[in-house]
Amino acid sequence: MIWKRIIMSVLFIGLVIASIMIGSFADMNLATLRAGDENAWLVFWHSRVPRTAAIVLSAAGLSVGGLIMQAISRNKFMSPGTSGATDAAALGLLLAFIYLPTNVAITIGRLVIPAGVVQTALAFVFALVATIIFVMIINKLKIREVVYIPLLGMMYGGMIAAVSSAIAFHHEAIQMLNAFNLASFARLGHFEMIYIVTIPLIFVVFYATKFSIIGLGADFAKNLGVHYDRVVFLGLCIISLISAAVFVSVGPLPFVGLIIPNMATTIYGDNLKKSVIDLMMFGAVFVLFCDILSRLIIWPFEMNVSVTVSLLGGAIFMVYLIRGMSSGRVRQSKTA
Amino acid sequence: MIEVKNISQSYVKGGHVKTLDDVSLTVREKTVTALVGANGAGKSTLLGAMSNVVQTMSGQVLLDGVDVRKIKTSEVAKKIAFLKQIQQISIRITVNDLVEFGRFPHCGGRLKDIDKQKVNEALDYMMIGDLRDRFLDQLSGGQRQRAFIAMILAQDTPYIFLDEPLNNLDIKYSVEMMKIVKKLVTELDKTIVVVLHDINFASAYAGHIVAMKDGKILSEGYPDKMITKEVLNPTFDHDFHIIDHDGKRVCLFFDHNQ
Ligand SMILES: Nc1ncnc2c1ncn2[C@@H]1O[C@H](COP(=O)(O)OP(=O)(O)O)[C@@H](O)[C@H]1O
Ligand SMILES: [Mg+2]
Repeated sequence: MIWKRIIMSVLFIGLVIASIMIGSFADMNLATLRAGDENAWLVFWHSRVPRTAAIVLSAAGLSVGGLIMQAISRNKFMSPGTSGATDAAALGLLLAFIYLPTNVAITIGRLVIPAGVVQTALAFVFALVATIIFVMIINKLKIREVVYIPLLGMMYGGMIAAVSSAIAFHHEAIQMLNAFNLASFARLGHFEMIYIVTIPLIFVVFYATKFSIIGLGADFAKNLGVHYDRVVFLGLCIISLISAAVFVSVGPLPFVGLIIPNMATTIYGDNLKKSVIDLMMFGAVFVLFCDILSRLIIWPFEMNVSVTVSLLGGAIFMVYLIRGMSSGRVRQSKTA
Repeated sequence: MIEVKNISQSYVKGGHVKTLDDVSLTVREKTVTALVGANGAGKSTLLGAMSNVVQTMSGQVLLDGVDVRKIKTSEVAKKIAFLKQIQQISIRITVNDLVEFGRFPHCGGRLKDIDKQKVNEALDYMMIGDLRDRFLDQLSGGQRQRAFIAMILAQDTPYIFLDEPLNNLDIKYSVEMMKIVKKLVTELDKTIVVVLHDINFASAYAGHIVAMKDGKILSEGYPDKMITKEVLNPTFDHDFHIIDHDGKRVCLFFDHNQ
């Protein structure tokens, strides 16, 4: 256990440094930084560090959000992306772009709210409403068949996305919608919103045991004196805030919320209290690696990070599924 | 003391089909009470209502004279442990994690020395100390069942309600489980209510039997009074044959002559 943690930490730190040092501005390197080159330090603080922080935070956030979604729905194939959260966040952001000023702060009385905060808030509210409705539907239907829930979630998300498209058509904003749907850590706009992710992450660390307990079912949780509905609501708030902040600042990172919790589970188990830090690091290592890859492949240009994440993540998850099926693990989680 | 006073419950809106119909019961202290009845009789719902996990429409459950709904859930969880029929578990945790969850009502997830000690005691009592670092999906049905009972023991409550703990267990494990249940009463002074499908297990290990049908308690009493054709036939809508074996009643489910 301790070895796994040390290896992961070394990998994490190594990739963080690599991520900061690699980029199109070649004059930023150890020598220029040491020499106190102003431009180098400017790039360091204003481009490289925020970008690496965004990668680490969005990856950690989506990994944790995915695990909580899986605990709430008691289904290993769920993630913020297959429960309507991501699509609803996109809808919220689209509406903010269409109806609200995008770059100037909004003033209500004496209160000045930066546009990024307004966009994130709208994305958050949409994501929260969407996931609450989704969880109510799956609880009402009492479906426990493993494959139906994510399928239903994907259709649900697809419907929300269709509504977004219709609205975008109507307002001639299709191009904007397409731009949202490509993730990038070099995205212009309200990049700093990613720091909001730290708030839900802190909550998760404090409520870790409760989230693990609700993963064992409502009656199980109530027997232990846990307020099931409240914890589920808190969990949905956390998932929605993470999805919204990541979507507004970076864009959709497909698969991360699905594969990272699944792979981390086989290594660390699902007791969040013990594994939450490992889970976050695991997710960060994966996305850092994907990002570095997408910057090196066609250097000095850069490929869109959702492309590498999809390719690598999809491949890994397929191998994981096939191996799981042949060892009986996947089927077991259905009938055990 | 747990007293159930005239509780009714329905899963149907409007309440015309009652799952529990005016049920009253006083749980016998320091006894194994077996709850028997056909599928859908309302046994699980009654256990749920008694541990305040299932909401009722009317009536009340008194824990030491106080309505359970008026007690903080974490306080109820220190008095009553309710183990539902084990369903699918999709999350991957170790035996040790599970048993530590049992301490949640006492420590809120931050285990102190006393909590760790209770966890160790529970693991030892169920003889699964050597399995503590195994994941639940790496256990046999019998071992997993014992892990869940260990969690209930770590919860350290005077009242323990078990819903069909013999489900999925083979005969050897079932007998072992019932011996443990009985030991919990004789050695640890627990009060236990257990839903059993096999009437012979009820006859052999319970000190008190409650028979339910259609949301009502048909009759209750000592096993020798309960294991009779007069009680069992209407409870299960089935013709039983009862024989005496070494002073214990044994119930045959079918008749060779028919
Ligand atoms: N969550 C539920 N929603 C709707 N109906 C339920 C639910 N749980 C139980 N029932 C119904 O209530 C009745 C009693 O169920 P239950 O208490 O589980 O019986 P038992 O445990 O004796 O088999 C059954 O008719 C069952 O279909
Ligand atoms: Mg039942």
